[in-house]
Amino acid sequence: MNKPSHLQAPRPTRWTLFWRTFLPWQLWRFLVINLKMLRMMRLEKKHGHKRR
Amino acid sequence: MARVVVLGAGIAGHTSAAFLRKWLGKDNDVVVISPQPTYNWIPSNIWVGVGLMKKEAVVFPLAPIYERRQIDFLQAKAVALWPEGTPEGGAKPKVEVEYTGQGKDGRREFVEYDFLINATGPKLNFAATPGLGPEGNSHSVCTADHAASTSTAFLESVERMKKGERQRFAVGVGHGGCTCEGAAFEYVVNLEFELRSRGVRDKADITFITNEYELGDFGVDGLNIKMGGYVSPSKIFTESLFAERGIDFVTRAHVRSVDPGATHIETLDGTRMEIPFDFAMLLPPFTGVGLKAFDATGADITDRLFAPNGFMKVDADYAKKPYEEWTPADWPRVYQSPAYPNLFAAGIAFAPPHPISKVRTNDEGLMISPAPPRTGMPSAVIGKTVARNIVRLIRGEDKPLYTASMAEMGAACVASAGANPFSGTAASMTMFPIIPDYQKYPQYGRDLNSTFGEIGLAGHWIKILLHHMFLYKAKMKPGWSLIPE
Repeated sequence: MNKPSHLQAPRPTRWTLFWRTFLPWQLWRFLVINLKMLRMMRLEKKHGHKRR
Repeated sequence: MARVVVLGAGIAGHTSAAFLRKWLGKDNDVVVISPQPTYNWIPSNIWVGVGLMKKEAVVFPLAPIYERRQIDFLQAKAVALWPEGTPEGGAKPKVEVEYTGQGKDGRREFVEYDFLINATGPKLNFAATPGLGPEGNSHSVCTADHAASTSTAFLESVERMKKGERQRFAVGVGHGGCTCEGAAFEYVVNLEFELRSRGVRDKADITFITNEYELGDFGVDGLNIKMGGYVSPSKIFTESLFAERGIDFVTRAHVRSVDPGATHIETLDGTRMEIPFDFAMLLPPFTGVGLKAFDATGADITDRLFAPNGFMKVDADYAKKPYEEWTPADWPRVYQSPAYPNLFAAGIAFAPPHPISKVRTNDEGLMISPAPPRTGMPSAVIGKTVARNIVRLIRGEDKPLYTASMAEMGAACVASAGANPFSGTAASMTMFPIIPDYQKYPQYGRDLNSTFGEIGLAGHWIKILLHHMFLYKAKMKPGWSLIPE
């Protein structure tokens, strides 16, 4: 079994953890993530769901 | 006048029925046949399963909504398709159903159709692993009822820990051929967060059991995401989260059996091990629901309509070929049965041509790798596209015009990693396309500008927003059709 202590995986620094729940930054990320999702849906409309 | 019958009222079936009703005139009938009287917004079952939400918050009765929208609703399960009609009942296509409610329990009847959408979803195949499931020795969050009883068991464990007892949690998938690794991932990180919130994390050992070759495969062959100035595989993203949360894991695992208090596991290289637990939430593998099919003479034609796993064959390329030869063109585009053009499948009910992740088998030939996920967003998009095509066919087109290939479709997955409006987080991930396309995107198979992942509170807010938005949409309240799938 793989134990976390044996992992080579990167761990977040305290600074990273702080940004993950820092309200002003997360409000910005909320906007950015929503825009990214909308972009993905636009791509979908461009590539798929089209008349053959 | 045409009658369109939809089998199933899950995400795909309900979406199909809603759009059919919106687009078809009132002189056409839309009939939904579902064995359950309620709709379940399954993605939020995760929160029910850790005691954060009541079952009632993720389900609502279908009958009043269908009555208001003039959709006929039969609480029944489909038993058999008769696409050429029945020997006694004439040539009109029919589906044979058995009622599970509405005061007609157990009664069978034939329902005629002009077009039929098979959106039955999966059969939860707990029987594939001895001892798996709520009837056995583990829990599940596949249905709202399962999630509610999982919550009770989880909260009992929390109470024991509060009294100083140590508890072992085993979470993951309960068979080598499972899908929905993303849901298991979401459950384990939520469970870990809740244990911390309740001040008992130090008394818990958590082990994640998965059939993925590497963590972060999610049944889509993994994904590469831009993160901290690098393009990193989702393995790093997921392992990092597990390392941060202190969650042990076993990859490449097939659960051989679940005994009271212990799972027995075999990994791809043949290693056998036992993982003891006090609480286990292990998702089952899926199969088709076991619909039969008959021709006009009553001869069994099930193998013409359905793949051996019970899912319905559609316009996919089912020729067996090695991983290296898989292409996006293998995947269906219009979800129409090649045998009968008035038959369609949507959501989990269609038979995928092959998995998305590389198939791996152990020395005994047992597949230990994820089956392809096709839940949530893809299910809804497929359901809507199938509905649109049927409307066009009713209006006189000679073939389906709109496509919804998973090779031309993206998916957004917001996996809650702790539900608190100020301290919670979620892993927000999107990918485009779902099926990697190495011709269009030679390096990573996907568009990196639309394939990303990040962890933060914003993701949790999005998850909350999606919960309310999609329940609003499913209830077909004013403006529902403006909400994207």
